[in-house]
Amino acid sequence: MGQGKSQFTEEELQDYEDLTYFTKSEVLYAHQKFKELAPEKVGHNKNAKLPMAKILQYPELRVNPFRDRICKVFSSSNDGDCTFEDFLDMMSVFSQNAPKSVKAEHAFRIFDFDGDDMIGVSDLSEVVERLCGVELKLSESEIQALIQNVLQEADLDDDGALSFAEFEHIIDKSSDFSHSFRIRL
Amino acid sequence: MEDQVEDIELRPATVRRNLTIKNNVARQVAINFMPSRQAPYNTLRLRRVNSENNALLDAVASDTPDAANKQADIIVREMELHTHLMQNDPVSEELRREALRDLPQGLTMKRNVRAKLSASVSLHSKRRPISVLKRFQYRLSFAWKRTRERFRDLIFSIQLWYEPIRIIEGHLGTAVGSYFHLLRWLFSLNLLLSGLVVCFLVVPQVLHDHNNSTTTDLGWLDIISGKGGLEDSLLFYGHYHDGVINGSLPLSYNMPFAYFFTMFCIYVGFFLVFCYRTAYSYRRNFIETSGGLSNVFANKVFCGWDFGIVSAHAASLNAASLFNEFKELLSEKYKVKVKRSLCMKIFEYTVNTIVWVTVLGSMMALHYGVWALRAMTTRTTNWNLLVSLILTSVLAVCPLLFNFLVRLEFYRPRTSFYVTLARTWLLDITTLSLIFYYWAKSSTKCWETVLGQEAYRLVLLDSVVSLLLLPAVEFVRILIFKLNPKGTGPEFNIAYNSLTLIYNQALLWLGLLFSPLLAVAVTIKFFLLFYIKRVSVLRACRPARKVWRAAQTQTVLYMFVTLSLFTTLFGIGVLFLASTSDACGPFRQYVPVIAVIGEGVLGLSTHQTLNAIITFIIRPGVIGFLFVALCVSVYYMRAKSIAQRSMVDLLRQMLVLQAKDKDFLLTAIAKVSNGEWLYSPKPEENADSHTWRYLHEVRKPSNAGYHFDGSRLSHAFDRSDKPVRPRSERPQSVRTDGDTDSSFSWQGSSNYLNDLENRRMI
Repeated sequence: MGQGKSQFTEEELQDYEDLTYFTKSEVLYAHQKFKELAPEKVGHNKNAKLPMAKILQYPELRVNPFRDRICKVFSSSNDGDCTFEDFLDMMSVFSQNAPKSVKAEHAFRIFDFDGDDMIGVSDLSEVVERLCGVELKLSESEIQALIQNVLQEADLDDDGALSFAEFEHIIDKSSDFSHSFRIRL
Repeated sequence: MEDQVEDIELRPATVRRNLTIKNNVARQVAINFMPSRQAPYNTLRLRRVNSENNALLDAVASDTPDAANKQADIIVREMELHTHLMQNDPVSEELRREALRDLPQGLTMKRNVRAKLSASVSLHSKRRPISVLKRFQYRLSFAWKRTRERFRDLIFSIQLWYEPIRIIEGHLGTAVGSYFHLLRWLFSLNLLLSGLVVCFLVVPQVLHDHNNSTTTDLGWLDIISGKGGLEDSLLFYGHYHDGVINGSLPLSYNMPFAYFFTMFCIYVGFFLVFCYRTAYSYRRNFIETSGGLSNVFANKVFCGWDFGIVSAHAASLNAASLFNEFKELLSEKYKVKVKRSLCMKIFEYTVNTIVWVTVLGSMMALHYGVWALRAMTTRTTNWNLLVSLILTSVLAVCPLLFNFLVRLEFYRPRTSFYVTLARTWLLDITTLSLIFYYWAKSSTKCWETVLGQEAYRLVLLDSVVSLLLLPAVEFVRILIFKLNPKGTGPEFNIAYNSLTLIYNQALLWLGLLFSPLLAVAVTIKFFLLFYIKRVSVLRACRPARKVWRAAQTQTVLYMFVTLSLFTTLFGIGVLFLASTSDACGPFRQYVPVIAVIGEGVLGLSTHQTLNAIITFIIRPGVIGFLFVALCVSVYYMRAKSIAQRSMVDLLRQMLVLQAKDKDFLLTAIAKVSNGEWLYSPKPEENADSHTWRYLHEVRKPSNAGYHFDGSRLSHAFDRSDKPVRPRSERPQSVRTDGDTDSSFSWQGSSNYLNDLENRRMI
């Protein structure tokens, strides 16, 4: 897998292996994928910062309804532009080996659109709207009913919003989450 | 406790939400400083604490390198609280590494933290001399870890079909991908199996045959039926040598031992692997996620999107299916439930029973037919081939019939899916067992080889069906769809296809002992199957319109594979090991077959004491005792698990109550800090309330200055037998005025609320 003319030194790879859920060859494979997004730029500087539009060319992200949120959450400059390390971070969290709790943490941040550390009614309606896509729209009352049901199930302390603990509880009880919240490298 | 449960589950939605929603942010900040958040007990908690602190910090300042530095400092400080993380030894270094990896932060931050940590570790650690043994242990665990990482690295590099499966998942969703994962897994296991069989059985036998060579001629029909020239070949049990093989080298190879132990290791080893895999999958997908409320809505919202999708078409289908499911869920929820009448219920049960009886009856009729066909003595050449052909076609058609039959019944969709799966599997496994039993009890000379031939024929004929016929049908269907696009295109039938895999695997388990090279045949078949299915899936199938719960289905499929293996093991134990096999094969000298251990390896006839011990161990009494002991321990475990489950329920309720308590206290604190400490309790109304007790016991003048009051503590303990009592009085008030806090009668707070109302009116 291109071990020969790699852009990384052994120490860097070891470092990545220590800090992510990837092995060395997976890191290299991830870099290959990253490079495919902008061969010129990454060829010059292996840790180049790519604008969000470029990152969204990644096949799984291109069709994802939460694509901009994902980029923002993982971007180290908080504006959606990602360096290779941010990209690696993203892939590491979405990988099969990441534990459910880490995935839940990031899912929470992705779904928390207004960034108040709670998933409130507005966040939920945004999530539902994005899930249904551009063509199909649920009516306002349906969305509200849906949100009320979600809160009824998940909001244990009755404050009208999901805190992280409540969100994690839901995720913990879902067998499908680690299946669905996964992007293969 | 009962009504408490109801109170929690049926609490009126949204009653209090609007009141508290505005303070959320401020409250979250306050919560973060609560002792439970400040003193984390494990790394998992630690992660969250850090992120919360960081969220706080984020609000203060961001982007400046100084802020990042501060964040790192906070995280380091949190980690320093854990002494077990801060030791200067390999174990805590490993723990630190894991804690770092689990931090929900970017790589830069992690690096920053790591640098700070290693600086602080050398300061904090208590230096203790490490014993030689400990050092050796550390070194060993390090080496083990490295090897494991290397191994994972290697696995990734040689992982088969990585990209194809990814593409399939991207176009058709994770559910279809799970079929290919099953296929890949079975393929790699069978590859290993073939390797073992070839190394330990086939190669020595070839060497032996080489020494005393015989020539055979083959007709093309022989290749399909496994008869004629193939009968006495490497393919089948009967051909294998029953003595010591002496090669040209001065080494000898005992074929019966080799045959026995290779098979033993394969069957038992694979049984363990399958058991472990099934149990693991079951634990993850059923046990850990069971209990409590079924969060259908929340699950759909948060876990509905398949993040692995890459094609726009699949994405729009996923969105549409979610849209439909939301609608369905809502309409189901608000539909006026028509209570089914008793007559209706009886009718439904009767129909279900009738269908079950029909299915089981037809299965039995089928088995009788197979038996009769087998027992028929005809002059037709290739009668055996014909019977196998009939069997294969019946086994291929029946699942489709079952699929149709289940629509007549009254099950929920999920149950009906499992029912079909179970029926198909039952048909497969009973038919195979029947064949096994028939040949084992028939007086045919060398029935083992005949059974091997039967399995060989079935595998071969099934290849024709699944490699040629089914893909052809799929292509015809997509062709019809393309010509007439009004109907719906064919979806990939995951259940049917997975069951085909399981049937093949069951066939392999049955035939492996009597036809070792069957493993190679099935491996090749799976290999071809992968490529054919890939083409047919990508060309001729469309993504499923319903969101498929892949995780649990996969567990059920693994369970079926394991059960088939178990059935085969049982059959082998009863029908083969205890019988004699003196007509052919490697165990001719041993009566019964199991004597290969007793006589051959242990030499029981010469070792009297060992003989006595073993005779004692296998006495029915001892085995019965073991069995009873097993039952008792299972019962004990079960009782324990039930107890733990109810404990979990209890704890969950306590959590909910605690959350409410906290909510209440925080609201109170917020009011206090707003300068509304002007409340008057109503002792005459509720002398038991917290507020009242607080005023009279805690805030009495003697307690000024927060000194510790022992009596209060003991009093609290006295009441510990009914800790939730004050709470249980609250539901009334919730329903009457919609404010849980009102029973505490905060004058100030009601003033405050009135104030707010007035202001809003203005």
